[in-house]
Amino acid sequence: MAIRIFIDEQEVKAEPGESVLAVARRAGFDIPALCYHEAVDSIGACRLCLVEVLAGSRPGISTSCNMKVEDGLRIATDSPQIRRDRASNLELLLLRAPANPVLRDLAARWGVRPRLQPPPDAGIANCILCELCVRVCAALGHNALAAVGRGEKKRVGPAFGKPSEGCVGCGACLSVCPTRCIVMKETSAARTIWGQSFDFHRCRVCGQPVITERHRAFAIARCGLPEDYYDVCESCKQSQASQRFAGVVW
Amino acid sequence: MCASPASSPRPASVLPAWSGEKPLTGGAEASERALVVMPRRCIGCRTCELACSFAHGSAGKMARPRIRIHPAGEKRFVQITCLQCVNAACAKVCPVQAIVRDERTRALRVSLDRCVGCGLCQAACPFGHMHFDRETRRAEKCDLCGGNPACAAFCPAKALEYR
Repeated sequence: MAIRIFIDEQEVKAEPGESVLAVARRAGFDIPALCYHEAVDSIGACRLCLVEVLAGSRPGISTSCNMKVEDGLRIATDSPQIRRDRASNLELLLLRAPANPVLRDLAARWGVRPRLQPPPDAGIANCILCELCVRVCAALGHNALAAVGRGEKKRVGPAFGKPSEGCVGCGACLSVCPTRCIVMKETSAARTIWGQSFDFHRCRVCGQPVITERHRAFAIARCGLPEDYYDVCESCKQSQASQRFAGVVW
Repeated sequence: MCASPASSPRPASVLPAWSGEKPLTGGAEASERALVVMPRRCIGCRTCELACSFAHGSAGKMARPRIRIHPAGEKRFVQITCLQCVNAACAKVCPVQAIVRDERTRALRVSLDRCVGCGLCQAACPFGHMHFDRETRRAEKCDLCGGNPACAAFCPAKALEYR
């Protein structure tokens, strides 16, 4: 059964259980967010997706990513107060990662100038600790990342700062990182991420890297496809397919 | 994928069995229209690749084409593009169900908001039609241009048709 909510006075249909942010974005409303990703649960970490609830069970200024839709909900996505609150939250994120290009870009667009000096050790990790990488890694079943340390020493990384057995070197953490602060080094020999090196499984035709050995082993154990599906690289598979099709046509 | 001339009826499947599996039949069979690929007509001009690059480019940059022309002997070419498999390996391995069947075109589409960029689908596709954009770090594949494939529209030899 569809639910009706009102975003900036406009009626929008939603399904029960959907987040306000997802519904608003689908309807074309531009709500900023860094730590939101459709594939995982939202935790309201970056606090940039603030909206104002005019009628609903969480009245006042609230994060929209982890707010579920309810019938008759009325929200505003833009007002002087919302803009002011988002700007102050961005200012706080900038104190943690002052040199981060994504945050600086956003600050320039919103006209945010930090009024406080960042602490001397800020920005080492360049990370806002939104833990999107942690959530995605867990959703993929690898559970290789966690928040390590507490308070000002808090960082994201493999537990105890030691190379994780669960990490397969897939790089999804890097792909989803909203502030692009995760570093992965890749050579033709290996891929290095989170202090760990991963050997590639190589194409049996041309020798190019296809996937890391650990990721391949994980996929074979979990995905139920024949092992040889991961043995040939993209372009060699295309060539093989073209030869097979040519054999059918001519 | 269909390799028969335009006049003859479309066979249920022209694909040989892959690795001993059941033949993967085109998902297009459930749709009213399909991207029909006729290698016999292909003149190897690669206009389809160019059209694809333009259709999916953004910010003034051309995209990597999702259709490719492969030589198959003397003056013979095969167009290689996504088969929109019914039982698709890419969708099967996706850990976050980001590869979804488009209701209207029956094409398999990557939901970019849902993709987490793990690269597994690219390794798993048995035909090499799943790509990984290294800049956006997301999977990308043929989406039949939402129902009006540019490759077919621009093919001068009518070797690709959407019908």
